[in-house]
Amino acid sequence: MSVATAPKRTAKRSSAREGGSFLAALPWIGPALLLILAIVVFPAGYMIYNSTRKISQVGTDLKGVGLDNFAKVFADPALPRILLNTVVWVVVVVAFTVLISLALAQFLNKPFPGRTLVRMAVIVPWAASVVMTTTVFYYAVDPNYGIFNKFLTDIGILDEGFGFTKNAVPAMAVAIVVAIFVSIPFTTYTILAGLQAIPNETLEAARMDGANRWGTYLFVILPQLRGALAVAVLINIINVFNNLPILKIITGAIPGYSADTLMTYIFKVLQFDRRLDISSALSVVNFAIVLVIVAIYVKTVKPMKEV
Amino acid sequence: MKKRNLRGVVVAGAAAAALLLTSCGFGGGNTGGNDDVSSPGAVTTLDMMVPSYSDGTKALWEKVIKDFEAANTDVKVNLEMQSWENIEGVLKTKIQGNKAPDIYNGGAFAEFAAEGLLAPATDIASEATVADFQPSFAENEKVDGTQYGLPLIASARALFYNKTLMEEAGVTEVPKTWDELHDAAKAISDKTKSDGYGMPLGNEEAQGESLIWFAGNGGNFGDATNIAVDTPANVEAAEFMQKMVKDGVTQKDPGATQRTPMLNTFIQGKLGFAYGLPQTVGQIKTENPKLEYGIAPVATKSGEPATLGVADRLMSFKNDGSKAAAVKKFMDYFFSADVYTDWVSTEGFLPTTMSGSEKLAGDETLKPFLDMLPNAVFYPTTNPAWNATDGAFKSLMGQIATGKSAPDVLKEIQAKADAAK
Amino acid sequence: MSFLVTEDRASQKTVIWRMVAGLGVAALFLVPYAVMLIGSLKTRSEILSIPPSYMPREGAQWSNYLTMWDTPETPVAYNLISTIVISLCATLLVLLVATPAAYYTARFKFPGKMVFMFLVIVTQMLQPAVLTAGLFKQMLAMNLYDTWLAMILINAAFNLAFAVWIMHSFFASVPKEVDEAAQIDGAGKLRVLFKINLPLVWPGIVTAVIFTFVSCWNEFAASLVILSTAENQPLSVALTKFVGQYSTAWQYVFGVSIVAIIPVIVLFMLIEKRLIGGLSAGAVK
Repeated sequence: MSVATAPKRTAKRSSAREGGSFLAALPWIGPALLLILAIVVFPAGYMIYNSTRKISQVGTDLKGVGLDNFAKVFADPALPRILLNTVVWVVVVVAFTVLISLALAQFLNKPFPGRTLVRMAVIVPWAASVVMTTTVFYYAVDPNYGIFNKFLTDIGILDEGFGFTKNAVPAMAVAIVVAIFVSIPFTTYTILAGLQAIPNETLEAARMDGANRWGTYLFVILPQLRGALAVAVLINIINVFNNLPILKIITGAIPGYSADTLMTYIFKVLQFDRRLDISSALSVVNFAIVLVIVAIYVKTVKPMKEV
Repeated sequence: MKKRNLRGVVVAGAAAAALLLTSCGFGGGNTGGNDDVSSPGAVTTLDMMVPSYSDGTKALWEKVIKDFEAANTDVKVNLEMQSWENIEGVLKTKIQGNKAPDIYNGGAFAEFAAEGLLAPATDIASEATVADFQPSFAENEKVDGTQYGLPLIASARALFYNKTLMEEAGVTEVPKTWDELHDAAKAISDKTKSDGYGMPLGNEEAQGESLIWFAGNGGNFGDATNIAVDTPANVEAAEFMQKMVKDGVTQKDPGATQRTPMLNTFIQGKLGFAYGLPQTVGQIKTENPKLEYGIAPVATKSGEPATLGVADRLMSFKNDGSKAAAVKKFMDYFFSADVYTDWVSTEGFLPTTMSGSEKLAGDETLKPFLDMLPNAVFYPTTNPAWNATDGAFKSLMGQIATGKSAPDVLKEIQAKADAAK
Repeated sequence: MSFLVTEDRASQKTVIWRMVAGLGVAALFLVPYAVMLIGSLKTRSEILSIPPSYMPREGAQWSNYLTMWDTPETPVAYNLISTIVISLCATLLVLLVATPAAYYTARFKFPGKMVFMFLVIVTQMLQPAVLTAGLFKQMLAMNLYDTWLAMILINAAFNLAFAVWIMHSFFASVPKEVDEAAQIDGAGKLRVLFKINLPLVWPGIVTAVIFTFVSCWNEFAASLVILSTAENQPLSVALTKFVGQYSTAWQYVFGVSIVAIIPVIVLFMLIEKRLIGGLSAGAVK
């Protein structure tokens, strides 16, 4: 899908369909390109450069070490567990987010009085800062001052407060719940928009054919939602993969690396081991993984519309 | 016609923007240094970055700076506050960008000194000021015989005990040894609804709790040249900590407990014993003044006095060296007895200067802590590997509470420290 | 939409069931923020009391919302202004830059188009935590250190991707005949864009605005190192100033967080209907 020059020659330049050369496109895409080149390229390049250097804990650049940092990263005994956690984290969060959002969007598409207000409420976690939402969750499940723990003990489910965030497995579960919670609004709204675009005739036709509710949903509605889902899933994958604040706040106090994902591990290497070089190498690895996933995704799902 | 014009405008606009951006210094590597004009009579601007100890820290520094600037019209101080969580990350970014602060308040300093980034104390403070620091503190500011840091605050830990809970559990004596503390905490855990002892081994301050216990067995983290974590004395102390956890005399999940919330449970009267600081006294006063509590020396294995001492310091990054004279003016002003004692007592810390100690000798709140200072063990902050050791304690020490054997955990920390040499 | 005229012929009972379910859903999503609001109305000592209280025991401390503007830790009013200026300008810049790019890529073929679109999405994948070292150096070199302009540029550049991609699909869904008819009338490309296309993709622009605005509003990692003067810093950085070494002013952290949500919610309320229209036009073929 890159350069198809041959047919272009024959097309007339003034046609509304053909923009012609890259140069002709420049005035239009130029400002965006300029902004990216001016702001993004240097720090991204600097990160890659740092990943090939030895940098003291203080931040002084000592010498180039080629790919040594990457060798260290791949030899790290903690890495397999971290990669596994990352996979679990991304897959579980994105899958549950999409499933819940599908149901929620279906519901919010049904007319009932007060629907607008319910839609507004669903939007709030999107508007609020993720750090603050996570902090509130963290304190709510604290065994001593947590409102949620108090509620559970008051209604008799627990005898005393439970330390949800004190051990790797329950803490990871809490983090996943929070991540799903904050990802739902955006996803729901995208799917809701998709639902509204399905022509009524399509649904009528399905009903005429005698399809039951689930049949209609699986074979008529869901295929129509493909475009909306494609955008929602792409953005969710990138965001969940790169999410730091949720895990940092909820699992941050747990000793060792048993509850870390790639992102929180990068943060710990930077903050506690004070190794900018190793964390840069980890970031490059992280970036490469996201890049490959997104490339495969874009290639197979094709969320970008062709002209 | 019109079409061409519009496109022309866009192209010209983009080109102009590109030119503007490139002219903003994309060509060369000349970073920083354009704000320090050192011609005579010019104003020197000092960048100062400090952490928040309390709500009042920013206002305290602002007052110091305002009075200092009024007396020294040729120096201006730009104050930047950061939380403890963020300050070291921001500092590292600044060092990398060749824009390290002229005045910096922090804990670790040896690695900066080892790389030649810091100005020696004698360059940034007058002889009289340097001579006024208590020798034991000044000693902790030296790397290879040269003093770099100017000790700003000191603090020591003491055992806070809840009198009401002790009475309820039938504990009459304030524990002086590990075994007494263990039994007293056990009595409180068993006979009251509260936990006996608060052990914070989360990543906020696992290194602090560890050294309190290690010091109680004559141990430490090593010295200026060697980090020694997995010593027999330390292992014995760590194993006793583990015994406290296993016997259920601490709060739940010590491995993921942070100091601030743990001390808060003590302040709220739900904890028998905890190691606290001078600031804890002030917090109890504002947050739960009804608490019946007392302050005693740290419980140690044999009952011999020992505690953890902490000192933070002011230091100055050299940069191009042109601002040393202005920094010196500021330091001499700040460490003068009146200015300094006002600052340090408002923050509730112990003074590090001799003149300051004299002025604050009668302070009731500080007295129990001042008494403990002579037996305090400090972090090996003069060892360049200390930072890495500190980080390793924060992320790994909590594992003794989750079942990993104490010698193994200390070995793991030692390995991280050795790797940082 | 009136009460009983419903397109799927729901019975009155079903409608009532939906209202109850709707109430449950709304409650679920609002609970954390209700906890935040209640926390902001407690006294400093009550927030961390054990056991916790559901409601402020000593009466709601509405005064927290007055005193938080004048705390010793950080100038909250300035921080709010900074956040607004940076977010608005960055959003505006994104629109200015993304609209022509999205329009042109949706309408015309040219060599390098796919590369361009992929380059744009790559900016979204970079993680700010490690990029800050480079951004700091760069802003010093550009003489923009500690300025709003630096953060406007950074926010705009890193949030360009979503705007370009979503608007691209909106422009693509406008029938080409519209353009062709206009061009026959002799209108230039820019004129076609502004006069003919923009009104048709208004919902798409709204969608891009929301996404960009929300992420600029909550940006933290770069602001922390680029903006050093307290007055220049956004609310996200200001919040960390309430965290002391051994104690935190939670009542202000919660209060400022609630205040920070309000402008974004107001923005949502103003354009909720258009947002729905916008997403549907873009995301679905």
